[in-house]
Parts: sequence; C-alpha cells; structure tokens
Amino acid sequence: MSAIKYTFQIEKDDFSRAGEASSSIKKILMQVGSEPSLTRRVAIATYEAEMNIVIHSDGGTISVMIDPKCVMVLAKDNGPGIENIELAMKEGYSTATDRIREMGFGAGMGLSNMKKCSDEFSIESKIGEGTTIMMNMCVKEGE
Amino acid sequence: MEKEYFHSVILKEDRCIGCTSCLKVCPTEAIRIIDGKARIIDERCIDCGECIRICPNHAKSAVTDNLNVLDKYKYTIAIATMSIYGQFQPNISINQILNSIKAMGFNEVYDTTLGAKIISGLISRYLLLKKKVEGPLINSSCPAILRLIQIRFPDLLPNVVDIETPMEITARIVKIDAAKKTGLDLKEIGVIFFTPCTARATSIKNPLGIKNSYIDAAISIKDIYGEILKNLSVNPSYSVNVETTKETLKWVSAGGQAKSLGMEKYLAVDSIHEVIKVLEDLELGKLEGVDFLELMACRESCIGGPLVIENSFIARAKIGNHAKSLSPLTYTDEEIDQYIKMYEEGFVRLTETIEPRLVMSLDKDISKSIQKMELMREILKNLPGIDCGVCGAPTCRAFAEDIVKGENNHSLCIVKTIESFKNKNLKRKGENKIES
Ligand SMILES: Nc1ncnc2c1ncn2[C@@H]1O[C@H](COP(=O)(O)OP(=O)(O)OP(=O)(O)O)[C@@H](O)[C@H]1O
Ligand code: SF4
Ligand SMILES: [Mg+2]
Repeated sequence: MSAIKYTFQIEKDDFSRAGEASSSIKKILMQVGSEPSLTRRVAIATYEAEMNIVIHSDGGTISVMIDPKCVMVLAKDNGPGIENIELAMKEGYSTATDRIREMGFGAGMGLSNMKKCSDEFSIESKIGEGTTIMMNMCVKEGE
Repeated sequence: MEKEYFHSVILKEDRCIGCTSCLKVCPTEAIRIIDGKARIIDERCIDCGECIRICPNHAKSAVTDNLNVLDKYKYTIAIATMSIYGQFQPNISINQILNSIKAMGFNEVYDTTLGAKIISGLISRYLLLKKKVEGPLINSSCPAILRLIQIRFPDLLPNVVDIETPMEITARIVKIDAAKKTGLDLKEIGVIFFTPCTARATSIKNPLGIKNSYIDAAISIKDIYGEILKNLSVNPSYSVNVETTKETLKWVSAGGQAKSLGMEKYLAVDSIHEVIKVLEDLELGKLEGVDFLELMACRESCIGGPLVIENSFIARAKIGNHAKSLSPLTYTDEEIDQYIKMYEEGFVRLTETIEPRLVMSLDKDISKSIQKMELMREILKNLPGIDCGVCGAPTCRAFAEDIVKGENNHSLCIVKTIESFKNKNLKRKGENKIES
C-alpha cells in the first residue's frame, strides 16, 4: 500500500512563518490529487494545530501520513502541556494574551475546529512534557 | 480521452526569447520554457492574462476575432465592456464611443449595464437573503477567478453565485429581442463582444456553468481601439439606448460590484495574486463577518484588463468622471420580480455545475501520485531550491514535478551542473597536489 509521510518543524512565536506548514501540506494534497473537501479539512486542522504550537507551546512538529483514502495528522510539541484538556476543548475557552487576540487569534475555537474536521481525534497532554494531538481524516463516501 | 482544453492566451513564438519573465507571474504554474520558448500547459491556463501584461517582448497574445466576423451574420449587435469608457479622452462621451462602434457596421450597440443591473438586483434582493452556504457569496463575474477557484480552491465552488456574467445576460436579452424584432433566426444574428480580457474571450468558446454562450465572437479593445478613435467624430445620430447608471458603470472598477449591492459586510479584492491570499484565508475559515466577496483577477478590476490600452488608475478616474453625470441605479418591485423569475427559470442562472478541475495532481490514480510524490521528494533533495527558472520551470519544485511526470525531459539544472563541474575540478586539483 502506498503512503507518504512528511514532517514539519514548527517554531514557537515565529509568526512570520506561521501557516507555512499547513499551506505546504495543502499543496502536497493537491498534487496528490486528494478529494477537495478532504484537502480542505486537513488544511484547516493542520493550520489550527500549527497556530497552537506557535502561540501556546515551546515548539514542536506536525507530521502527516497520506494514503489514498486517509490523512493522518500528528501534532506534537515540547511543552508546557495543557492543564485541563476538557476545558481547553470548550468552544470559546482561550488563554491567549491581548497581544495575540489583536492578531486575530484567541477565539478559543482551534481545538474544537480540529475535532470537527477529523473523523478520529485524540489529545494527550502532560504538564512539563507537552501535548500530542492525533487526527485521522478520510474521504467521505460519495465524494 | 478528455477533449482538448480551450484557452485564449497564446504565444507568438518568433517574439519569445525565453526570458522567463512570465514563468513566475503565472498563478497556476502553467508556463514552462522548453527549447528556449515559453509553452503554456493548456489545461492549467485560467486566462488571467498576467503573462500578457508582463512580457517585455509582447510575445504573449490572445486569440480574438476581428471585424470580418460581421460578414457571417444578417444582423449584428455589438456589446462593449463598460471599461471601454475609461479608454478615451475625458471629453469623449459614452454616446460618442457607442456611436463610433455602431459606425463600424453594427445594427445595434450596447454596453453591459443591463446584465450588471440584473445581477446586482438578484444578489442584493434575493440570493443574499436565501443564502445557505457557510461563508460569503463570491461573485461569478470574473471568469479567470472562477477558473482559479476550480483549480486551486475547488471546495469554495459552492460559494460562487450561480448567475451568468453581465456580458452573457445582456447578450441573451438583446439577441432574443432582435430575433423577435427582425423575424430572423438566432443563428443569423451575430453578437460581438468588445472584450477587456482573454478570460471573457475564452468564456464565449468554452463557457463555464452554461451550455452555450449567446455571444458569437470577441474583439479585443486593444485591436479595435484605433478604429473607434477614427470614428469618434461621426455624427452621433444614433441615440443609444443604454441606460448606464452610476453604480453599474462602476462595476468595471474595483469594489464597484460590491458597492452596488448597497450592503456593508463585503470585501473587494483585485489582482489575482492578492485574490489567492484572500481565498487561502477564506478556505481556512479566517474571513469572518463577510457576506459578499468581490474577487477580480485584474488590478483595479476590468478597467485593468490585459487587453485594454489605458493605465488602470487613469481609467478609474475617467470612469469616475463619467459616473458623475449618470443617474443612480434604482429598481421597481416588478423589475425584481421579473429578475427572480429569470433566475428561477434558468435564463440568467448558471444551470450547469462548475466541477473542480484537479489539474495540479501528479497522476489521476492517487496511489501512483503518492509514489510520484516520494520520487519528487528524492529529486528535490538534489536540487538547489533557489527557483532560478533557468531549467524552464518556475520553481525547483515544479521542475521536480515535471521530471516525475515525465515531461520536460531535455532540461537540466544549471546550478547543479556547475556545482558538479566545480567539484570535479576541485577533485582533480586535489589529485594533482597529491601527485606533485
Ligand atoms: N499546544 C498547546 N500547548 C499548550 N496549550 C495549548 C495548546 N493548544 C491549546 N492550548 C490551550 O488550549 C486553549 C484553547 O485552544 P484553542 O486552539 O481551542 O483556542 P485558542 O488557540 O486560544 O484560540 P483560537 O484557536 O481560536 O485562535 C488555548 O488558549 C491554550 O490555553
Ligand atoms: S477582472 Fe475583468 S478584465 Fe480582468 S480577467 Fe476578470 S473579467 Fe477579465
Ligand atoms: Mg488555537
């Protein structure tokens, strides 16, 4: 079975490059010829994951595994971790600073958007160690 | 086999010196330089005309018609883009311009006001109210943008309003009227559009969202400009029955369409590369609170089309001046009802679905595509990544893509070649040293 994996480094606080990884991932999926709405879901989910790593974490990586029907996304960072995952997942919950909000982030929608975009979603986090998000997205029947 | 994809941008080979200027401005990476000449990958061309504008040697051109087409019809109608009003000295009136066109041998002459009025009425009083899709409605009036969305943002196709372009709607109405008036068959009536761009010229032969266009030919403003100038002094005996309004006239300059809707939550973006950035944001769900998006491929919108003469900023000022003396756009309730009927009956609606066109993919078969991606990644490791364009592809990535697709087999990476040449020399020098 054919599958291909890409990994992108995401730097903390690097706003000038923020969004590059998800935009490369989208380009890759278009070249692969993936179904348009799947491509869009992956683009949104990876963008949110990328921004969270830039804004809230100490840096990390995003990997995508692409096979003909599904895309698996792994977003992993090096800390500081999320204290209360349930709270973080709530729509509208955000710890973003005023500066970040001025930049248009911090609506507290990122994690719930990621979940909405994925067919399978899991999040694990340990204070002091980091956060890992796994998402799986597949072509929907009839598309 | 897929039928050959028709587009209007062409290359005048004798003028092309393979300078690579056009490579980088192409928003769909549709150009390669092969054997020293630019080549267009047909199915990727969206006819935006960026390459026509940038080519310093005027080697990029457009397939358009000339006045000889008039001979093919018993009755002829000219429809001019309203950007034509921005092309002449400020003292030349709209009436004079249209009379000059008529004097070329047309039975009737119009601009695209009628179509613009109907679209504006339908969007503001009907479609925006019954909008179901998430996110803003996107204008359908620029065919280059539609083709861009088909190729690069196919998931946004449902946001595009399903209404025909102003030129097409105007053509339908005046052609059918003329048939009634003259008793002629539609086939005997020729509707000729005076176009500011290649994208509209393409839409006549290769329409989007409709089965067939009611327009029969397109003449480029650039080509016909001299002829119009010559005729400007003809006695304006013909009283032109176009009802151009302040708002519809401004449809051809940036923001004009959105403004004509009389709403607040809109965003108007001109220039294809800026449009791409905004569509990328929209795709990520970053454009909140926008109900209507006006997207036009050309800088300053149609007055900056690739086939017009005047600088777009000057043209905008001229259009603004003409607009001052025009009356404002108004609708009666009966008119709106009539437009809604036209829409519901499919007369002004896009009746065919606009399908995504996945022309950026490496292979039709996803598994094979993935294998080719893998190969591409290996090749990319060996390319310098400086996107110099000398290999004939716009970027190293596009070059790698061409290699795995088995295209452009003759080119090579000059940077890589020089490097390996240097290395060989260094090695040889090294060997010499050891010997001596
Ligand atoms: N990778 C992460 N590391 C540490 N904390 C995180 C991480 N991702 C999210 N969080 C925490 O979870 C909260 C909610 O995240 P979410 O992405 O849903 O919203 P947001 O980033 O605050 O705002 P938005 O995504 O709408 O711009 C964040 O404010 C932050 O406190
Ligand atoms: S903006 Fe107007 S002139 Fe330019 S490509 Fe679109 S329709 Fe044609
Ligand atoms: Mg977030």
